[in-house]
Amino acid sequence: MTENLHLLMPELFLAILAVVVLVADLFLPDDRKIYLPWLAVLGLIGLIVLSLNLLWNTDLMLYGGLISLDNFSLFFKCVFLVLGIIVILASMDFVSRWLRSPGEYYSIVLFSILGMILMVEAQELLTAYIAIELMAFGFYVLVAFGRNNRKSNEAGLKYILVGAFSSAIFLYGLSLVYAYTAVTHFDAIEASLSSVLANTDQIGPSLWVGMALMLAGLGFKVAAVPFHMWAPDTYEGAPIPVTAFLSVGSKIASLAFMLRLFSEAFLPAIDQWQIIVAVISALTMTVGNVVAMVQSNYKRLLAYSSIGHVGFMLMGIAALSSIAIDGLLLYMIGYAVTTMAVFTALTAFFNMTGREDISDLGGLADTHSYFAAAIAVALFSLAGLPFFAGFTMKFYLFAAVGTEGFLWLAGLAIFNSFISLYYYLKMIREMYVKPTPDSVRLVMSQSGVSNGISKPTKLITCLSVVLTLSIIYLGVYPLHLLKAIQAATLSIW
Amino acid sequence: MGLMELAWIIPASSFFAFVGIIAFGRRIPFVSPMLSIGAIIVGCILVFVVVMGRIDADPTGIDFFSRKWFEVGGTELMLGMIIDPLSIVMLGLVCFVSLMVQVYSLSYMRHDPKLAWYYAIHALFAASMILVVLADNFLLFYVAWELVGLCSYLLIGFWWEKREPVEAAKKAFITTRIADVALLVGILLLFHEVGTFSMKETFYQAQLLGAGEVSELSSGTTMIATFLLFIGAMGKSAQIPFHVWLPDAMAGPTPVSALIHAATMVVAGVYLVARTFALFEAVPNVLLVVSIVGLVTSLLASTMALVNTDLKRILAYSTISHLGLMMLSLGAFGYTAAIFHLVAHGFSKALLFLGAGSVSHASNQTDIRKMGGFIKVMPITAITFGIGALSLGGIPIFAGFWSKDEILIAVFNHRNFLFLIGTLFVGFLSALYMARAFYLVFFGDLKNENKSVSESPILMTAPLILLAIPSLLFGFSVFGSDEGYGGIGRFIFFENAHDFHFNVLLGSISVILAVVAFGISKPLYITRKFDLNRIKKYFSGLIRICERGYYFDQVYEWFFDRIVLVSSRFIAWLDRAVVNDVGVNGPANSMGWTASKLRLHVTGKVYNYALVMVLGSMIIGSVWWIMVAG
Repeated sequence: MTENLHLLMPELFLAILAVVVLVADLFLPDDRKIYLPWLAVLGLIGLIVLSLNLLWNTDLMLYGGLISLDNFSLFFKCVFLVLGIIVILASMDFVSRWLRSPGEYYSIVLFSILGMILMVEAQELLTAYIAIELMAFGFYVLVAFGRNNRKSNEAGLKYILVGAFSSAIFLYGLSLVYAYTAVTHFDAIEASLSSVLANTDQIGPSLWVGMALMLAGLGFKVAAVPFHMWAPDTYEGAPIPVTAFLSVGSKIASLAFMLRLFSEAFLPAIDQWQIIVAVISALTMTVGNVVAMVQSNYKRLLAYSSIGHVGFMLMGIAALSSIAIDGLLLYMIGYAVTTMAVFTALTAFFNMTGREDISDLGGLADTHSYFAAAIAVALFSLAGLPFFAGFTMKFYLFAAVGTEGFLWLAGLAIFNSFISLYYYLKMIREMYVKPTPDSVRLVMSQSGVSNGISKPTKLITCLSVVLTLSIIYLGVYPLHLLKAIQAATLSIW
Repeated sequence: MGLMELAWIIPASSFFAFVGIIAFGRRIPFVSPMLSIGAIIVGCILVFVVVMGRIDADPTGIDFFSRKWFEVGGTELMLGMIIDPLSIVMLGLVCFVSLMVQVYSLSYMRHDPKLAWYYAIHALFAASMILVVLADNFLLFYVAWELVGLCSYLLIGFWWEKREPVEAAKKAFITTRIADVALLVGILLLFHEVGTFSMKETFYQAQLLGAGEVSELSSGTTMIATFLLFIGAMGKSAQIPFHVWLPDAMAGPTPVSALIHAATMVVAGVYLVARTFALFEAVPNVLLVVSIVGLVTSLLASTMALVNTDLKRILAYSTISHLGLMMLSLGAFGYTAAIFHLVAHGFSKALLFLGAGSVSHASNQTDIRKMGGFIKVMPITAITFGIGALSLGGIPIFAGFWSKDEILIAVFNHRNFLFLIGTLFVGFLSALYMARAFYLVFFGDLKNENKSVSESPILMTAPLILLAIPSLLFGFSVFGSDEGYGGIGRFIFFENAHDFHFNVLLGSISVILAVVAFGISKPLYITRKFDLNRIKKYFSGLIRICERGYYFDQVYEWFFDRIVLVSSRFIAWLDRAVVNDVGVNGPANSMGWTASKLRLHVTGKVYNYALVMVLGSMIIGSVWWIMVAG
């Protein structure tokens, strides 16, 4: 059982790294605490190298089938590790300005990433549940990290209450499934489902209700309608880098887990859940995009917009075929890069001003033309305009969904993309057309260094440039990424 | 081959000018016109290079240059361009008129604080319009098509401090967008049938269909798809009933009207029909629709032009009317004639608009009743405007005469007698309203309040003169020598080349009508030999209908107020009732409340969330069970 233990080295080292960061925080004097995030980033880079060397093209089940190490896991492992690097780099300035106890912050980020990685690797329901909770606990703390900020506390409280509730639903569903099939391994569930479906006279409600409850629990994690209501409040209250992390990390991890669960364990029952997931996806994208139109806080707007994107991504699970999975994975990456680009630029803006309203973005093109351009590029990409990552991802996914027989869903998605252009343009118009509000100008000049305009740090500017260039790179030349994605898809489909 | 492939630099240079202006324009104001004009000069030079390449290869041939972008399943997405006589002619028109208008704007817009923004959008427009012309697949075409729409929206609403331009911009955007949805559906239908966005493949299949051979396209779908493409073209080219946005679009700066709403963007619809003519030819019924829409549009628009008193709106209606003529000609298989008229009209109308801009710039008004006698104070504007007016009016030797004649022959050969009468009547009206505008603005007595009017600066008159030259001479391109260039009919044609024929009977009728129109205008409008008011009283009902634009706006307004707004209010109510955290009562604003209230509020909300989640789970669970059991 322990012969392949070395293959879990990335996970073990990640846990150790998180603990080291936490402990180092106790011993480092305040002026040296800036080393903590760099330690974490270096560790993450090391882990990426290690994972790629160790796990390239492995296909193994460890611990009697609890965890699977295949290209799919490896792909997402790298994605989450890179995401961790981006989140930590984007947070550095923010943490030192607005938050206390940086050691805890970075260490909890690392723990959440560990949770996400384990989620994607899980091949068994209880393992998956524990991984989900590991990730979620990290987020509960992170959301409430702005200790002096009432909004942040309120958001944390709401998130943990509703989250606990959804965990209960998920766990109840899990127990119902177990009660009926007496197994928790994905392949065993699949076999059991096939045999149940073969003799239809044995059907009782508990199995289906159990699966439905698990779907509902996961629906909460990805903020699918009607389990989305926590998302806007939580996103708005959370510190802004955490909002970014939440809207990218937790969603991608949950969707990847869902993909594995539905394409492996629940596959025999595809006729039943396919249409349910399709309807949830349609509702999610429509509600997200329509409601986003009336928001005035940019975090809230992006929260609704991310709900809309989850609706798009759920289409990939509903359509479930090899090209739909390719499309879903491409969408995840494009969405992650683009969302991180928006939030990085907005974090830089927030660091300078401490403002969160869309109207506060007024005149950004005059004061900080680079950040305005970066936000505009990222929003255009989210809207799906060509030559940005958003176009290739949407085109691929929508085309795949359309060819898999969900033409109505793809049509609705295109329509929703048009709607989304409206509110993204609203933000862009604010930056390029409106003058800077006086209050923002005042804040900028108070915190400013020279000639009345405060400057963002070099680090966050560089990060933003890299992310913006990645958006354009993925939009113009997605073929490299597609190769990696196809390899990942091959190992689950 | 090599030379032609350089064509991609033409849109790219303008696009980079756009990026450069956005990045630096706000810091250094003067850099923006330089970048934009520099890019379009590069474009103009490259057009010559591309023409050289085309002539070296095969002057009337068609070449596709495509690169793979990425692929989904088996579908490949390509980026590429078409270089054929049609795209070359359009390239030349777009680049030349863009250059003229941008130079003209240097003077016309020089005091505007948003000069950088103005030139940025101009550069973006040039890039995307050229992309429309070059695109070799429907997807790229659609993208560029939407981009020109966006630029048009931004430029109509350029003076967004004022209410009228903003309203006009919205109207233009929404009206064309409705048509664009049809275009998109049409493109997707074709994609669905043919399995690729490539125009080459689609046209090949359409030709197979037309020849009655086995084709991926079925005739029913092709008819629907082609019709949808035509609706898209109607929106962009302001064909009835989508024409309502174009007259209002005159609220934008006049050079913009000249470039976008006269010479280039509005002809994109005509270009679309011409580009996809293989499809239209495969389903001749749609072509009949095209010619009917074109004829009705040009008839109605020319009557509206005749009674309007705003110089820019007269020109706008005249544009609609001539776009209708181009559509009519395409519908009557007059491919060459339509493109020929497109170019001739492009030069003349850009000239007229820039002339109108020169007049209104000098006198600060656009109402022709308050003008008169301007020929004495601004002779260059008057003469060049006159050339434009004569060309559009179809007076011999001017460009518009030759192209109108080609259209008449096409209509004569392929459509019945009624169409021919209609076309001749449009020609007569078009000469009449051009003569009316020309005489009322430039002849008669100079009014007292206009004594201070003087000729515009050289930066504005030079483009006028440069545009007057092709308006005067372009028509002679119908003639060719026996070797080498063989006339326009042997350069731009669809499937079969033809020489220029002058039908003596048709030609003389149209010349007589045009000359009569110009002849009676002077006694009618200036020297008042006839009692104009009596004529007006006689036709008062008809005139009022024309002045109100046949009540299209009123009908649309009623439709939106009574039907669209009512239903969207219902949806808005539903939204608020179902999704409870929309709007101002969100917790964001609840922060100022007292702590106790806040706590109550929050628990209440979490409770709500939980309730909705439970309901959701129950619904999913029961649906699932029902699906299994049933």
